[in-house]
Amino acid sequence: MEQFEFDIAIVGGGHAGFEAAHCASQFKNLSVVIVTMPEVGLASAPCNPAVGGVGKGQVVRELDHLGGIMGKLADLSGIQFRTLNESKGYAVHSTRIQIDKEIYSKNAEKLAESIENLTVLKSKVIKTSKSNDIFQIIAEDYKILAKKVVFTVGTFLNGKLHYGLDSKEGGRHETRKTDGLNSIFKDIKVNPKRFKTGTPPRLDVDTIKFKDMEVQPSDSNVESMHVLHGTFQRFIEQKNCYLTYTNVESMTVIRENKEKSPMFNGNIKATGARYCPSIEDKAYRYPDKNIHHVFVEPEGLNLKTMYPSGISTSLPIEVQQKMVNTIVGLEEAKILVPGYAVEYDVVDTTQLDSTLQLIDLPGLYFAGQVNGTSGYEEAAGQGLIAGFNAALSILGREPLVLSRNDSYIGVMIEDLVSNLRDEPYRLFTARSENRLYIREDNTALRMAKYRRSLGLYNQIDHYIDSFEESFKCYMDLLGKTLVDTRDMFYVEQNIKFDKKVSLIEVLKLSHINPIEFLQRYFAYNSLEIDYRLIKCLAISVKYSGYIAKSDEVNQKTIKLDDKPIDWSKLVSSENISFECKQRITAIKPSTFGQLRRIEGIRQATLSAVAGQYY
Amino acid sequence: MNNDTIIACSSGNSANVAISIIRISGNEFLKSIKNFIPVDENKLKSRKAFFTKLYDIDGSVVDEVVVVYFKGPNSYNGEDILEISCHGNKLNVQKIISIFIENCSFRLANPGEFTERALRNGKMNASQVEGLDLLLNANNIFSLKQGYSLLSGELQDDFLKLHQVYMNHKSAIELGFDFLDDIGEDGFNENFNTSLKELENLVNKLNKRASISTNGLIEPEIVLFGPPNAGKSTLFNQILGSNRAIVSPQAGTTRDYISEGISIKNNAFKIIDTAGIRFSNDSIESQGIELSKNFAQKAFFKILLVDTSTEFDYESFKNFNYDLCLITHSKYGYDGSNANFNKLLNDIGPIEPKSIAPIGPKKENCPIEPKHIAPIGPKKEDGPIEPKSTAPIGPKKENGPIEPKSIAPIGPIHSVDLLQTDIGDIVLDLVLEKFESVLDFDPILIERHSHKINKIYLNLQNYLHTLRDIDDLAIIASEFNSVGVCISELIGIVSPDDILGNIFNSFCIGK
Repeated sequence: MEQFEFDIAIVGGGHAGFEAAHCASQFKNLSVVIVTMPEVGLASAPCNPAVGGVGKGQVVRELDHLGGIMGKLADLSGIQFRTLNESKGYAVHSTRIQIDKEIYSKNAEKLAESIENLTVLKSKVIKTSKSNDIFQIIAEDYKILAKKVVFTVGTFLNGKLHYGLDSKEGGRHETRKTDGLNSIFKDIKVNPKRFKTGTPPRLDVDTIKFKDMEVQPSDSNVESMHVLHGTFQRFIEQKNCYLTYTNVESMTVIRENKEKSPMFNGNIKATGARYCPSIEDKAYRYPDKNIHHVFVEPEGLNLKTMYPSGISTSLPIEVQQKMVNTIVGLEEAKILVPGYAVEYDVVDTTQLDSTLQLIDLPGLYFAGQVNGTSGYEEAAGQGLIAGFNAALSILGREPLVLSRNDSYIGVMIEDLVSNLRDEPYRLFTARSENRLYIREDNTALRMAKYRRSLGLYNQIDHYIDSFEESFKCYMDLLGKTLVDTRDMFYVEQNIKFDKKVSLIEVLKLSHINPIEFLQRYFAYNSLEIDYRLIKCLAISVKYSGYIAKSDEVNQKTIKLDDKPIDWSKLVSSENISFECKQRITAIKPSTFGQLRRIEGIRQATLSAVAGQYY
Repeated sequence: MNNDTIIACSSGNSANVAISIIRISGNEFLKSIKNFIPVDENKLKSRKAFFTKLYDIDGSVVDEVVVVYFKGPNSYNGEDILEISCHGNKLNVQKIISIFIENCSFRLANPGEFTERALRNGKMNASQVEGLDLLLNANNIFSLKQGYSLLSGELQDDFLKLHQVYMNHKSAIELGFDFLDDIGEDGFNENFNTSLKELENLVNKLNKRASISTNGLIEPEIVLFGPPNAGKSTLFNQILGSNRAIVSPQAGTTRDYISEGISIKNNAFKIIDTAGIRFSNDSIESQGIELSKNFAQKAFFKILLVDTSTEFDYESFKNFNYDLCLITHSKYGYDGSNANFNKLLNDIGPIEPKSIAPIGPKKENCPIEPKHIAPIGPKKEDGPIEPKSTAPIGPKKENGPIEPKSIAPIGPIHSVDLLQTDIGDIVLDLVLEKFESVLDFDPILIERHSHKINKIYLNLQNYLHTLRDIDDLAIIASEFNSVGVCISELIGIVSPDDILGNIFNSFCIGK
């Protein structure tokens, strides 16, 4: 068996693994290897063919500014760009890109080949062990020695697939599973709950009646993800998505086949995400509701499959087929790949530190779906943290830890390591206490210090430096430029002040769209300014007062959050419900903040605990 | 925080009583007391009473006592507690306490320290402690009831419900960001509006309860005020059924206030007779008049007495309001032919019940209508004189919240003499009626609570304002957070330092 030595070995080549490898390999004197299943392409998209989304778009932009690869790959394969939450305020604007999943993965493979200090070995890992600070990985075809190992094994740990009443072992459709964590690596604590996720059937594009559905075209005014791409650059042909709805008949088909649903007949014991319900969940839990959105999305320019988002299911294929055909536009749609559910093991993330390293086994990192998250973006975000930190650790450098106060990645990592998850974790904007500040438009400002701390001087660093500098300079200008609103330019826009005012005051007017105003203002003054900068300036001004106020409100909470608590005393108290006690025992919170963030902790419990400070 | 063993007398020890209870709280202190209370540690079952002698260090018997041991965490404050019931002579109690302090290195408990430990050990939450304080200091059935309701967590449940409703609306907002694809714009709007309505209703309801001025309720005062010689002291004596106040036909007889406790159906009130309000050069009388004005401003129940024998000094009274107006000295007649009386009605009319106790800052919240009785008839129906029904005189319509009673023609009017009419009971009935109608509103007695609820109300108003002006949901969500912080403060999550400092300051030793 061939034996190789590397500095860092990444087990798994999905979104987490590929991002980890890409980040670690930016330190050119380190050697990095990805060991991955031969039957799966790098950075493949086994579920929805899209990158970004609410809260996730922010993560992709954070990744991009930190030197990650996801944004760039998404742009290159993007077949539709949209801004979600457009009507709900700038802070929650989130970019989502439909990707051609074939091109996305091919680009990833190509890129991997082009990175000199990155090797890809396609072989299934069987065993891993550590002795004398060196990890030894035994794969089917190779033996690998490494100083650091990042596990990004997704849904493959003890994976079990469910198609209706049939079930078989596997990590994904037509893909093998890997053995349980403990047979690969002894004595690692696994989350006592298994998790479950599912995916909808894929439909034959030629059998769908698109004219009967609502068209959702690509939006050409959405900025590309990668900041070094042209602001509105598109690389391949743009495609439409379509919207249709379930109806009484669709839901009746599902309800009549309840006993054939592995989720409800007891075959699946694992926990799925409440926020990402299968169509069976919707049918059984909300018996009065029959109309649900179904977004029909292309999976690629040359792929024959369409992805019907919203009807993830593990019912038997014939039931799936019958249900699909009740939906307007899909009456004749043919299922090419059935929907299914997968159950898998996840790691107990409370055993990890904030670099995602296993506390009891330094040098071993976990990232991605194996940590109980869902979503490519969440996976990539963790991959970046684990990858950079594995590298920084070898180099004896300070770790890279993002704060929850200025990044969604920081929010996610802290949520993961301070909390035993009892369902798959997805980022929501609601998880951040600082939502008005953690926006897409100001990502460069938020990520600057983190990227700089890596000490890698690439194009992205130059971009961030110049963005930051221009931002300061123009912000200064906006504050210092006093304008007379009797000027026609203002009169036309219905802007009226009694005296000269700064542009900042004009931007804060409630009837002014600050971005459009600034664009007009700069054009009027013949200044050519990058759209990304204009947007960041405009929204930063608009929100400044609200952010200050929200900081003040947060301060009160933060002050209390730092206070230490004795969880063991709490558990022995009679005033606390059994359920809360269980959760507290599992997490062992050491501060009030950690206690507060445990999901399902009752207000009464918090109140009793808070009462102890005096 | 420290975990010394503490000791104090938990029952009142200001006088010699039959039995006093001394409480010791700490951990594992039984061994150190066995020379003084020789009960076998193994036999001392938790929550069982034992009769024993109590010895001094020299082996002499000090007292015979009953001890009850509560093994932590199943005790009042979660620690081991020993309660010693001893003879309640003050010197005896002090002697016993000092034996333990000198020989067992116990320490005298600080005020409220037993309860402080209960709080620290999660046996009580902040509002339960507040409730305990109210319960222990209650002097009417209602504060007793609310104290207990806090202690048992009922009021806390109301507050938690508020938090739940808050969370519902917050969730509705969040649905709009993170799940818009699932619920659609209509679903979002529906959730948003329903949950907001629910929150508004609950906050308004609580705010009404909180806006009822409570200082008057914990020790309600009934004040008699008016011009000199109107009969205040006469009425005062009549209500008390004694000659407590000196009465004379001389105007200005009462130069200082006199107060007496009075119980109406087990509720303690304080009735206050004040100096007649008039312009005076006498410095002592002037001071008395100032006091009268103070009482007349803040009392729970204000009785204005005016008489028909002299001209009414409208200027002196225009800034006052009242719950009951009594027109006295009826022997001068009430028929339309009495010029003074007609003028009086005109003059009193404009005295507007500006903020009628017990109403707080919000006029809409006024639950009580002022009562006017003019004039007072005898209450017995079999008497020769027809009883006059209440309140022909109402406040002016423009006055806002209070529905004025239509001004009925006054009459038939018969003369009534205060000295010959049993008016005390009528007055007390009216006081009780007001007290009970206020209690129907279930007012919130603890000032910290009503203050926070008021803050929640104001923040919610701000939020509603933001909703009208701004359509950026992210900003709306952020603004809504300040409502949440206030609610957290109410429940006791944020800045409990101040709450607790306050609570423990008002505690007396040994509780």
